[in-house]
Amino acid sequence: MNETLLTILEVIFMPVVAFVIGLFMVLMMRKLAARLQRRVGPPLMQPFYDVIKLYGKQTQISHGLIHDIGIIMAVGGYVAAESLLPVPGMDGIADKGGIVMLAYLTMIPSLGLALGVGQCANPNGSIGISRALTSMLAYDIPYIIVIFGVAYHFGSTNLIDIIDTQQAGGVATWGISEMPVLAIAGLFALHASLGKQPFEIYIAPAEIATGPMVEMGGKYLGGLFVMQSFQLYTASVLYVSLFLGGGENWITFLLKCFAVLAIPIIIAYLFPRYRTEDLVRLVWKWPVMLALIGVAFVMT
Amino acid sequence: MTQNELEKIEISTQPKRTNPLANVFDDLVRFCRSRSMFMLHYCTGCGAIELPPAMTSRFDMERLGIQPMVTPRQADILLITGYVSIKTLKRVILTYEQMGSPKYVIGICSCTVNGGMYWQSYATAKKLDEYLPVDLYIAGCMPRPEAVMEGMQQLMQKIKTGEADSWKKYYSHYDYYLGNQQQLFGNNWQTPTDIIGEAESYQLMGPQTLGEHTKILQQVQKPLEPLEMKL
Repeated sequence: MNETLLTILEVIFMPVVAFVIGLFMVLMMRKLAARLQRRVGPPLMQPFYDVIKLYGKQTQISHGLIHDIGIIMAVGGYVAAESLLPVPGMDGIADKGGIVMLAYLTMIPSLGLALGVGQCANPNGSIGISRALTSMLAYDIPYIIVIFGVAYHFGSTNLIDIIDTQQAGGVATWGISEMPVLAIAGLFALHASLGKQPFEIYIAPAEIATGPMVEMGGKYLGGLFVMQSFQLYTASVLYVSLFLGGGENWITFLLKCFAVLAIPIIIAYLFPRYRTEDLVRLVWKWPVMLALIGVAFVMT
Repeated sequence: MTQNELEKIEISTQPKRTNPLANVFDDLVRFCRSRSMFMLHYCTGCGAIELPPAMTSRFDMERLGIQPMVTPRQADILLITGYVSIKTLKRVILTYEQMGSPKYVIGICSCTVNGGMYWQSYATAKKLDEYLPVDLYIAGCMPRPEAVMEGMQQLMQKIKTGEADSWKKYYSHYDYYLGNQQQLFGNNWQTPTDIIGEAESYQLMGPQTLGEHTKILQQVQKPLEPLEMKL
């Protein structure tokens, strides 16, 4: 009974922790962008201000029920994913889920967004969401290959087992030292899944007016800001769990997560954007090739 | 109603709530509003050229939490940077009405104050305040980025103290603004946004919301129809 209560508490607490860490990841992203452009950048609490302000805005614009539900699906998919991602001290229901379940859950937000944006009948939104689904189709293939390669190597789809194996053996047994090729392909897929430049085809502010976000204001946009913080958190924690041995304690865990995220972000703000077909061609060629080579190394 | 009379009108600000916790919450939301302003990437006239230096590395507006957004739905502040021709004014009004409340309008350059050097032009709207409620003017031809930043900080201060609520004026005195708009655009003028309905929803209906001009609007108003999809 006591353990059930503890699990319930963890499942409630983990998304909250993820949200706060995710907001600081957004802050780091904006700070890094500012530093690369030789600016000072936003103050420490800026992501909090943004989210609170957006939820404090008044709006009576509604594009229908599906539009509202779509946003809830987008945030809810990530909230569910957080309870499957073990963090130091909290495992939640990770032993019941595993990475296959996680891979499913991280696809739900894009689908929810597609449902919601489809209802608002803005052509920019429709273009944006079709591009978002195209890019999901592109990065999911290397992503799934990498996940299955790692699962094959550790002989388990359970994230807790994967992390325990890596922590027991030290740095030499970390995914990144045992499967460097897969790790590179994974980083590539992670970068594409974040939707940052050069893979920014579906946001594209100057081209399609931020695509899926075009009709979102006030609380809807606030929901998307929350979703973005969850997205950054989920992507980096999953990568850290698969390749960098998870977290022994909160300090090393957070250091690893922020370091992993900093790599794609630093690359992102130096590049313009690919076209849709170029993105699909690039992502289906290089990371998939690397991932397949990595899987071949793992299997031999 | 003349301009002077309009300026004297005070919007009945919401009375302070009795619950002290609710007051703290209201203060927090106001503070966050002042520290996070998304401005619409829609600039008119020549003053727009002063904004890139204000946004980029020299002056960096992001320090104050101001960042550009691309659609009216996402934005909080509408910058009118310079003269507004009558054709542009139509688009400005459409844009303004689509923004979610609370929304703020900043008039940059002298042209928005009194027409500036376009005073004698037949195709330029002279005083922006007759068509939209303006929260803040930044005078100058054109104001330097320092002046723009200073103006932004003043707006932040006004939002923090709760003074910047001219968006309520648009709802409570819609008849006046609509009258001026009809004078320029003709009696067939209508926008896709139902301002009277919004005023009811925000509980901002005043004695000046409806009047002779809204009667004309209600006579000519056609219901919106979805655009036909054609390839």
